Amino acid sequence: MNFEGLEIKPKRWDVRYSIFFVLCSIFAITGTVFAADVQMSIQPQQISLLDRAVLKIEFLDTKGNAVGFPQIEGLNIQYQGQSSETRIVNFRSSSKVIHSYLITPSKVGDYTIGPVTARFKGGEKELTGQLRVIKPQNDREAQQISEIMFSRITTDREAPHVYEPFGLKLKVYLRDGVQIDGSFGIQGGMPENGMDGELQWTVTDREREDVNGTIFNVYTLRTTAKTLTAGTFTFQPQVQLKVVIPRQQRRSWGFDDPFFGDMFGRQETRPFTLDCNKLDIEVRAIPMEGRPDDFTGGVGIFDFDVQVGPAKVKTGEPITVKMRIAGKGNLSKITPPRIEESHEFKLYDARTVATDNPNEVRFEQVIIPKSGSVSNLPAISFSYFNTKTTDFRTITQGPFPVTVEEAPQQTAQVIATVPSTIQLETHILGRDIIYLKQRPKVWKQETNLPWYRTTLFNILLALPALILLLVSGITARNNTLANNVALARRQKAPKAARRNVQRAEQAIRKKDESTFYEALWDALVEYFGHRLNLAPGEVTLNAVLSRIPEDQDALTNLFNSIEQRRYGLQSAESTSKEEMKTLLRELTATLKKCERRKL
Amino acid sequence: MIFSSCRCLAKRAQSRPAAERHNGRPSKRILFLLTMLFIVPLSSIASEEVFLKAQAAYDDGRYAEAALLYTTLLDEGISNAEVHYNLANACFKDRDLPTAVWHYRKAWYEMPRDPDIRANLHFALNAAGAIESAPGFIERCLSAISLSEWILLAIAGYILLTVLLLAALLLKPARRNLLKLGLLPATILLIAAAGWRNWHQMRENPEGVVVRTEATALFGPVEGSTAHFKIPLAALVRQSNTDSKGWIEVEYDGKQGWLKSEYISRLSP
Repeated sequence: MNFEGLEIKPKRWDVRYSIFFVLCSIFAITGTVFAADVQMSIQPQQISLLDRAVLKIEFLDTKGNAVGFPQIEGLNIQYQGQSSETRIVNFRSSSKVIHSYLITPSKVGDYTIGPVTARFKGGEKELTGQLRVIKPQNDREAQQISEIMFSRITTDREAPHVYEPFGLKLKVYLRDGVQIDGSFGIQGGMPENGMDGELQWTVTDREREDVNGTIFNVYTLRTTAKTLTAGTFTFQPQVQLKVVIPRQQRRSWGFDDPFFGDMFGRQETRPFTLDCNKLDIEVRAIPMEGRPDDFTGGVGIFDFDVQVGPAKVKTGEPITVKMRIAGKGNLSKITPPRIEESHEFKLYDARTVATDNPNEVRFEQVIIPKSGSVSNLPAISFSYFNTKTTDFRTITQGPFPVTVEEAPQQTAQVIATVPSTIQLETHILGRDIIYLKQRPKVWKQETNLPWYRTTLFNILLALPALILLLVSGITARNNTLANNVALARRQKAPKAARRNVQRAEQAIRKKDESTFYEALWDALVEYFGHRLNLAPGEVTLNAVLSRIPEDQDALTNLFNSIEQRRYGLQSAESTSKEEMKTLLRELTATLKKCERRKL
Repeated sequence: MIFSSCRCLAKRAQSRPAAERHNGRPSKRILFLLTMLFIVPLSSIASEEVFLKAQAAYDDGRYAEAALLYTTLLDEGISNAEVHYNLANACFKDRDLPTAVWHYRKAWYEMPRDPDIRANLHFALNAAGAIESAPGFIERCLSAISLSEWILLAIAGYILLTVLLLAALLLKPARRNLLKLGLLPATILLIAAAGWRNWHQMRENPEGVVVRTEATALFGPVEGSTAHFKIPLAALVRQSNTDSKGWIEVEYDGKQGWLKSEYISRLSP
């Protein structure tokens, strides 16, 4: 086959097709812009009280933000998030941005959702939707969710004191027939602060109760609460539970599945948040009046007993005081009762001792008698606020008789190690914040720039780097010169020439011809010697011309005239000052020219 | 009183005879320097006085007054951790937990290893029923040193590294050993950079204290979005994102949710 002479040329129809495709693309893009739309749909449009509907706002071939819906009494509309879809059909792509909302009804009725304005690129549109909420199939009486399920909270103590535990009872009412998955969650509705820890609710009872002629299944949840501060505490817990509802619609997972949908009778669970009454509890402060000095924060009803042992020790040996406070109240907040200090013994910090009984707290404190004169350990008092009698009570134990013998000198040192281990085991009992700090030594001004942002600091910061840069530059240069003799000599060349030219100028002033020509010769020899890296004896006209042929005439003239004058080959008549100056100028000009040349 | 005396000094300087003023600049400069020398200690004396008054008010149980006095110091531009800490104590006693937590945290930025600040912050958060964030080991280590301390450490490392490099340049025989030794300041520099970055991130994603009750973080930055979790009043949260419409994505107890910005009082080192 012969391909020679074959030339591919764009045919006319090719060009036409190209134009056609470009135009089509432009029209398609323009069409896409004009096709932008926004639609709102609610599925299903009729639901029962226990059901939910999904509202979708679809932005077709455009983009738009989620729309905020106004409050509608009887409906709760919650935004769920956004998704997007892109489809390509017959080479034409279409996209969709969908914002989904979940509608949960709380009342029966016909609702109009909207109008709301959805804004998108290229316009805006008002959207409206309809939703009908009907009574549930198994309960034709209930008009609203709160008639089907609700909760009630009560307390066993009307006005407790600070730190006093009080019981809270939460009853969850579910109309007979309503099934739940058995789990309860309590989200919010509790006092934001001032509570001692989080409340732990437990289901304690399940019973049936008649409320206004309707049977309810009632779940009872209980907890114990304590407050850290006085004041009014409001409880209105939001009970969340999941109601089990038989599936009403078949779900399609790519194909309609009547088999799976109905054969196994699948069920759905739907979360609901129940209404609850508001419970205000007035927590009273512990009165200041009549408060004993040794009150350590105990609020409740307690017993207090103390054990001391061993009862017979030598000076320097530890005696352990074991204190036990038992009863109902804020045991975790009680700090150890104070033992009166004395110069006769050394007192270490009390430590809490772990106990299995949740209704008691135990403390241990080590006392080391310093002298043999100690016969009693002082009485120990525990004061608390009795919530039953609403007054302060003090329980005193002791004094405790002990026998202390004087110890020989050497044993004291051994016993001295005991406290350190005790102190390590001691853990700090915090009931209040740590006290104020002392005044600062220096007053810091916020308006001032921090020291690390000042200009001076930045300059100083750059200084070491600059010094390092400078030193490394110098070192690098020195290293290069040490390793490259030719370069080092090249750098010496202008200096050598300048030195000799100065010598020649002096000779002109003194009119010393021989020195003048000697200086000129030295200037030539030293300059070219260094410049061309030649030994002093190797600097000849030929050697120079072989490297710098460009300035042949000037160089030949210079070399010859200086050499001739130097060796007295020219006329013996003395040279005039002007001639000397001219020769020097020639030399300087030639050397400058040579200096500029690149070799 | 002290400020008035400062003003008097200034007035006196202004009311000097014109001749004296024109005569020589040196006298003017000297006067200015003298004034500055006096003003600085005088203002510090005033601050000290306010500080002591606040302490007395706190001791007497007048917590609101103490808080007000400490706030005066802060308003005057004083930013010592001690002032923030004491103000936080006064606010705590005055049952203003969000402000207390805010100032404890501010004090912590300055003195992150101070046990009192840490204990009281922990106590205040406990009282608020808020969950404290539990940073990882590395973050805890990096946060144990304040920003200025990291910068000081970095400078020390930088100067040491420069000196060692200079010595290595100048002392050829010891060059190898000096370069090996240079690894130490280089490591210090690297660690300090990590520390600085940690604090810098805290500036980029500032923390915030919840200042309103019923703070519910939502799944999306849209009114009516699904509630995600509740945040108690005075809880400490970390900002992770913002929205142009005034929403802030916060991180609390390992969860992320959107809150309106008015629920948060932001703070950063």
